[in-house]
Amino acid sequence: MPEITTLTAEARGRVGKGAARATRRAGRVPGIIYGDGKDPVAISLEPRDLSRALARPGFFATLVDVSVDGAVHRTLPREVQRHPVSDSATHIDFMRVGAGARVTVTVPVVFINHERSGGLRRGGILNVVRHGVEMSCTVDAIPERLVVDLDGLDIGDSVHIHSVALPEGVRPVTTERDFTIATISASSAVREEAAQAAATAAVAPTEEQAAAPAAPTPAA
Amino acid sequence: MLAPKRSKYRKAHKGRVHGLAKGGTSLNFGAYGMKSAEPGRITARQIEAARRAITRHIRRVGRVWIRVFPDVPVSSKPAEVRMGSGKGSPEFWVCRVKPGRIMFELDGVTLDVAREAFALAAAKLPIATRFVMREGEGTA
Repeated sequence: MPEITTLTAEARGRVGKGAARATRRAGRVPGIIYGDGKDPVAISLEPRDLSRALARPGFFATLVDVSVDGAVHRTLPREVQRHPVSDSATHIDFMRVGAGARVTVTVPVVFINHERSGGLRRGGILNVVRHGVEMSCTVDAIPERLVVDLDGLDIGDSVHIHSVALPEGVRPVTTERDFTIATISASSAVREEAAQAAATAAVAPTEEQAAAPAAPTPAA
Repeated sequence: MLAPKRSKYRKAHKGRVHGLAKGGTSLNFGAYGMKSAEPGRITARQIEAARRAITRHIRRVGRVWIRVFPDVPVSSKPAEVRMGSGKGSPEFWVCRVKPGRIMFELDGVTLDVAREAFALAAAKLPIATRFVMREGEGTA
């Protein structure tokens, strides 16, 4: 069973742009709980509690129990709208989930064993193509994270979804192709070193050739 | 320096930068980013100076993304020329930046190095900026 976060919210009577702005003026963050065949509930949350919850890695792959005036809704956070400059939350959506419901969630990818990767030790860069992978699973079995082991990977190697061990009953939403999660590419410093080495290797034989006695030219 | 390969019109109006950024406000590539906190016009030279400051500080180990492009030509009149007689000739390219726009992104370096690199780069820019990072980065 994954960890469940708890948030306390208040119901708000009115919905729409004006009501949402009034909620923000009152120092709270408007939100909504919807789904599971029940009526939506407009709520407002304390910004500090919400920002603390949002700062946790993998918040969107965590079940959240939202307590609204005594009633507890088991939900999955689906979307957060943010202020473009301050990045503070301006609205949040929670989707109500029933027991055993199958959902699509973006699971954060975590990389381990950086020091055991030969490519990274030699100055390569871990180029993360996907910071999160969309997974289809039941709400009781949402993986906390996808762990990618970098052990033994060299420059030019890449990690695809098939090489990641997935828990039972969890499958990626994209199944038609074996998509890339990360690659290890050479940094510009490594590339320059390689280019210099190649240049010196190319120059060295010509010096030897110059030192060697010239082959007799065949008579015309 | 960044500049368009071709443009439909040689000269553009000066324009004003109003409002907040509508897109490009969240990190798309790297773990760290530099976000504009003020509206302004960033020249191609300033973008290049900031990019060099970042690249030199990270010693070419990480990866840098530039999320802005200077596509507005700015014209100026020659020195000691009387007013009138038409608009001056295009001199340089600028990018109009609204508050909230991610201008640079960085990955493959530590948090401290990224902060310092962006502080050095911010000194090359005419607007106030803010350091941002991917959620959970540094806490995981």
